[in-house]
Amino acid sequence: MSDTLRIVLIVASVLCLLFMLRKISQSKVRIDDAIFWIVGAFVLVIISIFPQIPSWCCDLLGIQTPVNFLFLFMIFILLVKLFYMTIRVSQLESKVKELSQRYALDHMDDEVKQDEK
Amino acid sequence: MKLLIIVPAYNERENIERVIDQLIQDYPQYSYVVVNDGSKDDTAQICRRKGYNLIDLPVNLGLAGGFQAGMQYAEKHGFDYAIQYDADGQHRAEYIGKLLEECEKGNDIVIGSRFAEKKKPLSLRMLGSRLISGAIRITTFRKIKDPTSGMRVYSRRMIELFAHHTNLSPEPDSVAYMIKSGAKVSEVQVEMDERIAGVSYLNAPKAMFYMLRMVVSILFIQVFRSPVRLKEPGPKDET
Repeated sequence: MSDTLRIVLIVASVLCLLFMLRKISQSKVRIDDAIFWIVGAFVLVIISIFPQIPSWCCDLLGIQTPVNFLFLFMIFILLVKLFYMTIRVSQLESKVKELSQRYALDHMDDEVKQDEK
Repeated sequence: MKLLIIVPAYNERENIERVIDQLIQDYPQYSYVVVNDGSKDDTAQICRRKGYNLIDLPVNLGLAGGFQAGMQYAEKHGFDYAIQYDADGQHRAEYIGKLLEECEKGNDIVIGSRFAEKKKPLSLRMLGSRLISGAIRITTFRKIKDPTSGMRVYSRRMIELFAHHTNLSPEPDSVAYMIKSGAKVSEVQVEMDERIAGVSYLNAPKAMFYMLRMVVSILFIQVFRSPVRLKEPGPKDET
């Protein structure tokens, strides 16, 4: 890994951390969801400070250069995250559906009662 | 002084009757509310049949969301104190009075602590508790001996905050954040029972993730959050 790449990774991670902390203080993101980004940023910082780690992983997996390993690693993590996000979105949609159906049905009873009066 | 006992319940059909009947019979001086967090079993039906005071959430929100609904109820009905009380029978009602007394001395959060006076056992299960204690100690310089205890009493100004804040949940990281904001937190020795029936939602991987979440949150998030501005304690406003 070139020194420039390492510096870019560290700067990007720090920016990601600052951005998340700002969003948390604005109450725009839940801490549970921010944890992923904060831990991710830390992992990137550690990889940048100790490039031996990706080099070691390269040897283990038979990948030519650490940069390639970094690509593979990030794509893999993002795919897993995307997979979980898909599940989350599905669950959220069915919750919203259930909520609005229940709300509508409950209010239907209210209107009938008001009409009877 | 008015105390609300908030009992979040998720799939607690085997425990809810015993726990709530005991509260009604032995502690009629306290109000309670059951928050059914979208249970898949018949917890809600049991509560309705028995005529319990019930907030019935139509979908599952998780402990934080359910508890927050209870806090909103407490805020709306002008309660001075609210206590989180488990529906699975782990918490013992005889300690509620002791916790409330401590809270009335001007504390904002009083934790029913298993280790305030007793020593914490050296077990793997307590490793998480130790890590969280350590994280709180490093960041707030306060020793919280039983941060993961779910039995906590909250004062009126805490109720008002917890009822609406996105990132305040009844978890150790919120306690750390409140200490940082200048809230008074204290611990009172209690005993707890093992859950009698049903299964805990915390299995080993979930417990690991919970710990990671708490430690990361306390060490790297709560430290950098700007403290929330607390209302001056004093005569409560009649709004």
